Amino acid sequence: MPRLNQETNSFKFTNQNDRKRLNGRQMGPLRINHERPERGSKVALIGWSVPSIEAMQHMNKPYIVVSHEDFKPYAEQHNIPFFAWDFGKPSHYQEVYERSGDLYAQLVELDVGHAIPIFEETVEWSGALNARLRNDPNVFEHSILFRDKAMMKRRAHIGGLKVGVFEEVENKEEVKRFFRRVNQSLLKNHSQDPDPIHFKALNKAGAAGHRMIFSEEDIESKLTDESFPGLVESHLHGMEISCEVFIHRGEIKFLNITEYVLLGYSSMVPPSAALEHYRPLIVEEVEKLIQAFDIQYGMIHPEFFITDQEEVYFGEVAYRIPGGHIFELIQKVYKFNPFGAHLLCCDPHTTQEELEKYVPKEVEADGHAGSFLVYPRKKTVSRVQIPPEMESHPSFDKHTLYKPTITKFQDTNEGYGNHWGTVFLHGNDSEEISQLLTDYVDYDFYI
Amino acid sequence: MAVEMDTSKIEAFKQELETMESTYSFAKSMYQSNVLQAAAKLMDDEEGLSALYQLAERYEQAGIFQDSPWEDPSKLQPYLVKGSLQAGGLTTISEMLSELRMVAIAKGVYKREGVSEGQAQSFLHEVMALNIDILFPEETEAARIEGEGKEKDRMERLFQFLEEKLSLASISGELVKEISGLIAQRPIMVNRIVKMVNHAEKLLEKDIAESDRKSIQTYVDAIKGRTKKSKNCDTKKYRNKIKNLKEDALKAEAHSFAKTMRETGLVASNHVVLVRYINKQHPQLLAEALDLTNKGKANLEEHLSFVQQLIKAGIHIPLRQSLYGLAKMLDRGVLSSSPVIPGMRRIFELDLHSETRKVLLNSINGNEGITANSILIAGVISVLGQPLGIGQGMNPTCQTARGISLWSLHAPGHLLDLIARAARDGDVDLTFEGQTIHSKDLREGLVDDLHDELDPVSLILVPHLDRIYSELVRRSKFRGDDVHKWVNPAFYGNWVQKGFCGVIDPMTGSVADYPGFVRLFYGTHHPDYNEGYELIYPNPVGIFITNAFGKLLGLHAVSIQRIAKDPSGEIRIYFYNPNNDSSQDWGQGIEPSVEGCNEIPGESSLPFHQFVSRLYAFHYNQYEQGDAYAVEDEIVQQVEKLAKESWGEQHTWVQL
Repeated sequence: MPRLNQETNSFKFTNQNDRKRLNGRQMGPLRINHERPERGSKVALIGWSVPSIEAMQHMNKPYIVVSHEDFKPYAEQHNIPFFAWDFGKPSHYQEVYERSGDLYAQLVELDVGHAIPIFEETVEWSGALNARLRNDPNVFEHSILFRDKAMMKRRAHIGGLKVGVFEEVENKEEVKRFFRRVNQSLLKNHSQDPDPIHFKALNKAGAAGHRMIFSEEDIESKLTDESFPGLVESHLHGMEISCEVFIHRGEIKFLNITEYVLLGYSSMVPPSAALEHYRPLIVEEVEKLIQAFDIQYGMIHPEFFITDQEEVYFGEVAYRIPGGHIFELIQKVYKFNPFGAHLLCCDPHTTQEELEKYVPKEVEADGHAGSFLVYPRKKTVSRVQIPPEMESHPSFDKHTLYKPTITKFQDTNEGYGNHWGTVFLHGNDSEEISQLLTDYVDYDFYI
Repeated sequence: MAVEMDTSKIEAFKQELETMESTYSFAKSMYQSNVLQAAAKLMDDEEGLSALYQLAERYEQAGIFQDSPWEDPSKLQPYLVKGSLQAGGLTTISEMLSELRMVAIAKGVYKREGVSEGQAQSFLHEVMALNIDILFPEETEAARIEGEGKEKDRMERLFQFLEEKLSLASISGELVKEISGLIAQRPIMVNRIVKMVNHAEKLLEKDIAESDRKSIQTYVDAIKGRTKKSKNCDTKKYRNKIKNLKEDALKAEAHSFAKTMRETGLVASNHVVLVRYINKQHPQLLAEALDLTNKGKANLEEHLSFVQQLIKAGIHIPLRQSLYGLAKMLDRGVLSSSPVIPGMRRIFELDLHSETRKVLLNSINGNEGITANSILIAGVISVLGQPLGIGQGMNPTCQTARGISLWSLHAPGHLLDLIARAARDGDVDLTFEGQTIHSKDLREGLVDDLHDELDPVSLILVPHLDRIYSELVRRSKFRGDDVHKWVNPAFYGNWVQKGFCGVIDPMTGSVADYPGFVRLFYGTHHPDYNEGYELIYPNPVGIFITNAFGKLLGLHAVSIQRIAKDPSGEIRIYFYNPNNDSSQDWGQGIEPSVEGCNEIPGESSLPFHQFVSRLYAFHYNQYEQGDAYAVEDEIVQQVEKLAKESWGEQHTWVQL
């Protein structure tokens, strides 16, 4: 081999070469085609939700519900188009994709052309089905963005949203290292009160799997080997809010802000004026989010933190109907059916006219609506009591508390667990509603 | 102004109703809470209740009860109404709307398939009789009727409304029927009877039938004690009074108390005061104070000093019912069975397990100055005296109650051993197919939280026996036949016959060869076909429980005690039902009687074929089979028809 008179492995040489490689290359997230091809007339609702089925029926659109076979007798009794499927408990997302082939084949036979997820765990199933329907595996990967919290935060970070620093962790040692490094940056490693960090499960809904770590001892006492893998994140200080954003063709059709009056217990729609004041700021962030996540169709439920400096930080985002009866609250004050709007926004075939008929243009609320989730507090319960002053309060709307069918209550110690009933409030004074939503946290509705 | 408010409430209710009416059948549940809430607001005044009553047909048809326990009114049980009314929240509101629907049906305003006017009326009469405390609320009882403020007001308003629409006279009749049905069975636990009598007392001031008034007065007297000297005397005063009485006067008191006790099975507190006194000072009057039979007198005489000891230790005011148990125990002559006296004596001094002690002491109010051993002795006296008065209380433990009853009748020594084991060691063991099962090693049975309104012996034994029973069931599963085939003989002992026949094919869950089942039962049990073999020990059988409309409610365990001709010459099956239910109506005209057909107190009875139509499994002696073929086809067909049209509706029938 002839020797050249030039050093080819020098820094200057490689660097210049690498820079040339960047030229003319498509960088950043892969944009995918979100349009629904002209095949299959039906929409498949993945998961059982009576209000969604009612909305579908009401809009008179062809559909089929895909859910566990336990619902089959009821569906048959009431002529609900139904396909029984056992989603099982897949151990990783790839397993969902593999198993979805069978479901896809059967749904195609039933003339299904599009899938809409109802619950957190059905987001990837819908993604897998839509990927197959569009013959584009990236559609499945895209749905995981809304499920895998690390992937989600990374994507938000790349897209220019403000996020806390975070890391994926495999064991307690890594949590410890992260805790130290974060506090080192904050110069708080020798402080009596280091800043807390948050540990989260990678793909659970709501508060399930969430632990706050205030010290290294907490790592030992609050986490077990079963907690891993997980995600650790620096603490974001500020007000936590959620949004419900109805999106069609990449545009915001309606944006609701929900105030978490007491996280895990109570929500209020619309929020107090102090919070509503941030709407322009929030809209701006949501638009960034839509860009960053390449969202064209659907309803997203992001959570943000608003800091004392009026900066908006991204917490997380879900691609499903929110919990805590938020949709019922939206329906109460905005006078449209969000369950229907959700389905319309998820379907690329929905026309502008349909949307306009269903979703209001203006954000004009009739008072404030609040929901208070009631959990059992005693170990054994046999009856319901409603505080008389609550029931006779002018802002009391209704409750859904029945005598419990089980008398023994076992706290799962994971998340806030299932609530047994809900109290709904409605009135004009947001402060009054907030007060009522906080007053009864320690009240025994079930005794 | 007020009127305006009300119409707006009615309008609001109607509006919610319309929304519910217009929605799809599957989505009704989404609107139920709205309609119920609007209804609750109407329940705050009388006009509102009337309005709801008028709209009963509409709200039921709209789907307010859909997919809820109130959906099918023919399946509702009057005795469950109270629980739902007191449950609070939407449960109470649904229950109240259900009652208003029943009123509409009873009044003929609402013609509904499945429930006739008469059925609705008798349902409501029973509901009112069972909830007479709500009908006549007293200030002092406010705390007892759970549910405060609005809910309590609504409930009381509802019962005022019921009283308006239905007559009180029919309720007093119903109530007397309920009480006399309970009393006829002479249960050990009389809390429910005492409660009902206390409520019935309030009816004495109302316009009711004379015969009802007389019956109620008798019950009140039995509980309060209205002898010559005890009237208006509390126990302390009475104790002082009798100290100065001559023997003749004491005898009159004894006689008077004993008479009402024997008539009703209820014991007055002052009766206990008297018995404890004469036990010390005039033991010769004991036979009089207990009104013993000749056999009882002989038994008393033979074991007088032991009985005196028993009275000292086991007959106390808070546990006064054991006095009736003592009288019955002496009448049975059970003390002459050799293991009984040493078995009972052991309990006097038994070193109780701490848990046992706690449970026993909790069963009475504190500050009574009675030891846990005394409570247990009182319980033992009752169980040995009233083997057919043992009840399961509010627990699903019919099998265990049945066992205690059987052992009390036929193996009192064994029963006393079990009691001592459980009370001292916190354990009971049993050998099943060569392996020993210890209750202390077992986690749970059918019931994990025992409802404690039980006699002391059951309180101690049931948790152990229940766990063992469940373990036996667990070990006998998947053997291709009904588990009771193995469980019953092992659990109850050698008194249970080894032959076994069930109506449900365990592999398919369907009813196969029903005629064969009926014939085998007739051939082994009916005196016309079984070659005259008498039933020697109670036969633990399984039955289908059906409600007044013949609808299947579930399975239940009872024991056939004997089979005999009743006064009219009809062959009847006399059985022990551990649930001590006073008003049993199983539909299709099948109503077990508890008195009037020669029943021994505690027995229920039915004509032979009616009982067979509810039978689900039985044991028989393989060596004592009669002529099953000889049973007339008409009888088999009659039984099959009754079965098919009641519980059988929910089963698949297979022709072999």
